[in-house]
Amino acid sequence: MANVRLEELRKHYKRGSEIIRALDGVTLDIDKGEFVAVVGRSGSGKTTMLDLIGLLLRPTSGRLIIDDIDTTKLGDRDLAHMRAERVGFVFQEYNLLAGLNVLENVMLPLRYSKNKVGGRERALELLERVDLTDRIKHRPAELSGGQQQRVAIARSMINRPSLILLDEPTGAVDTETAEQLVALLNRLNREDQVTIVVVTHDLDVAGQARRNIRLKDGKVLADERVEAVSVA
Amino acid sequence: MEILRNIARRKLRSALTISGIVIGVLALTTMGALAENFNALLDGGVKYFGSNVQVGPPDGQSTFLLPLSKIDDIKRVDGVAAAFPGYSFQMKPGAAPSFSFGVPDTIVATSPDENNWTPFKISTASGRQLTATSSGEVVLGSTLSKEFKKNVGDTIDLPVKPTDAKGDFVNHPFKVVGILNPTLTAPDTFAYISISDGQMLLKDSLPGPLQSALDVSQITEGITVYGKPGTSLSDLDKIADRINSQIPGVKATKPSQLVDAFKSGGAVFTGITTAAALLALVIGGLSVVNTMFMAVAERVREIGLKKAVGATTLNIMGEFLIEATLIGLIGGLVGYGIGATITFVVNATTSPGASTLFLLTVRLTLFALGFAIALGAVAGILPAFRAARLDPVTALRNE
Repeated sequence: MANVRLEELRKHYKRGSEIIRALDGVTLDIDKGEFVAVVGRSGSGKTTMLDLIGLLLRPTSGRLIIDDIDTTKLGDRDLAHMRAERVGFVFQEYNLLAGLNVLENVMLPLRYSKNKVGGRERALELLERVDLTDRIKHRPAELSGGQQQRVAIARSMINRPSLILLDEPTGAVDTETAEQLVALLNRLNREDQVTIVVVTHDLDVAGQARRNIRLKDGKVLADERVEAVSVA
Repeated sequence: MEILRNIARRKLRSALTISGIVIGVLALTTMGALAENFNALLDGGVKYFGSNVQVGPPDGQSTFLLPLSKIDDIKRVDGVAAAFPGYSFQMKPGAAPSFSFGVPDTIVATSPDENNWTPFKISTASGRQLTATSSGEVVLGSTLSKEFKKNVGDTIDLPVKPTDAKGDFVNHPFKVVGILNPTLTAPDTFAYISISDGQMLLKDSLPGPLQSALDVSQITEGITVYGKPGTSLSDLDKIADRINSQIPGVKATKPSQLVDAFKSGGAVFTGITTAAALLALVIGGLSVVNTMFMAVAERVREIGLKKAVGATTLNIMGEFLIEATLIGLIGGLVGYGIGATITFVVNATTSPGASTLFLLTVRLTLFALGFAIALGAVAGILPAFRAARLDPVTALRNE
């Protein structure tokens, strides 16, 4: 069953008299537990597609169905609740709150979630899984880029979402750290059956995904499934 | 917790912003306490003079003396239930006039029965009230007892002899039989004596030739007239009109005129002091607005992230509003604390004879703190609204 379904999804912007077709009639299904990489050149519509799937943007037309819910019919409040309960985000720049420590950053989404029970325990469990148990009281500024991104990944998992969206997650870290992060994502994907959609320029990251969607000018240029790769 | 950290994150800016509120609340507290003190004084006047009709000599008469027989005439006027003679004297004749928010120290001779008629009840903190047969006895107001360091059982010479008194100055020893509870208004600086003792002091105050010519037991300085209990102010005004039309040789003042005079004086004073304080507070509020706008501008990505992880528009608004409100609360508490300390210290160091300047009331406390909190909240509305309306996609990628 599809975890995410895009039906003729469009996002057009007006720039003066010009219409920018950031996403232009994309139709595709992403099944539960898939690890999908969205690739393409700058301006191909990758980030727009990620923002639409993440319910941060409203489409100009078309339908976006997540967990059998037609999100295009939802109001702002319901979209916010869906983001809190069903979607996790990881950004290139980590976006950790400087005033909160590691544990508090991981627990941040719980503040906006209806289900707060056992949140601390869940956060501690996730920090153990990303190997940051000894850093829970540290502030983001005291962590390396890779450690910060692991905190962000743990934060994205706190509400047990069905879908994690990552925007260039390895863009700000070195190659070795990038490999470790991708391995971590693969492990979480396997163990939790969480759907992962990653927008990336990094061919190594794309190579680790089991499906690559290539965009060009807001349209799907290619949609390829690749053999499962073994991850150390 | 995160909100406190956000405030602490920019220590200098937060301190300066909170200082603005502190100064405003400090001004509101001290000026308000000044107004409250003044209003308490006036409220006593409103309560007392709004309950009776003051009758004195007619306009143009040079002396403030009336035949005591007028009391019987007045008692026959429709609506009059009781009438009492009254005498008052300077407690410290010849003393240099000084500016004070209080009523000057005064010796008041009145009937003990009058306390049964006036709604402005005076009660004793120690000792007892005067009786119908009191002679050579005095009940001191709370301020006077401190000023002259007199307690029940002590003796005080009245009027108090000035340092430069002439040889013919006369005063009399009075035994203190009671000390009144504080009223925050006139009776605090009053020394109550009996009618007969008042007539004695009246005789002392008359020029020599008049002392033997006048029978002071048949004259009074003024008459206080009461209607039946519960008589309204407008009905008391009508009684004053009837006295003026029916009793020659007297002038009854409508109580509403006296009450209006007290109230308008209080309103002007309160208006001026409160406006000055509120102005200071509003300036403090503007600094909160500025700080919160800067906070929003600095935390655009944070707002974007919070929206991405599920924060609703109301969540974001609430967080910024609480932060602004907290700034108001902190500023309010500190400002009120300093203001309260100042009023306490100034009152405590006021010389025993002088009226205290400040009165810190519960309503002023609630108003000062409530206003600071409300100001913070109101000042936070626009910045919070701007924060809540940020587009998460733009906010997340803000540099």
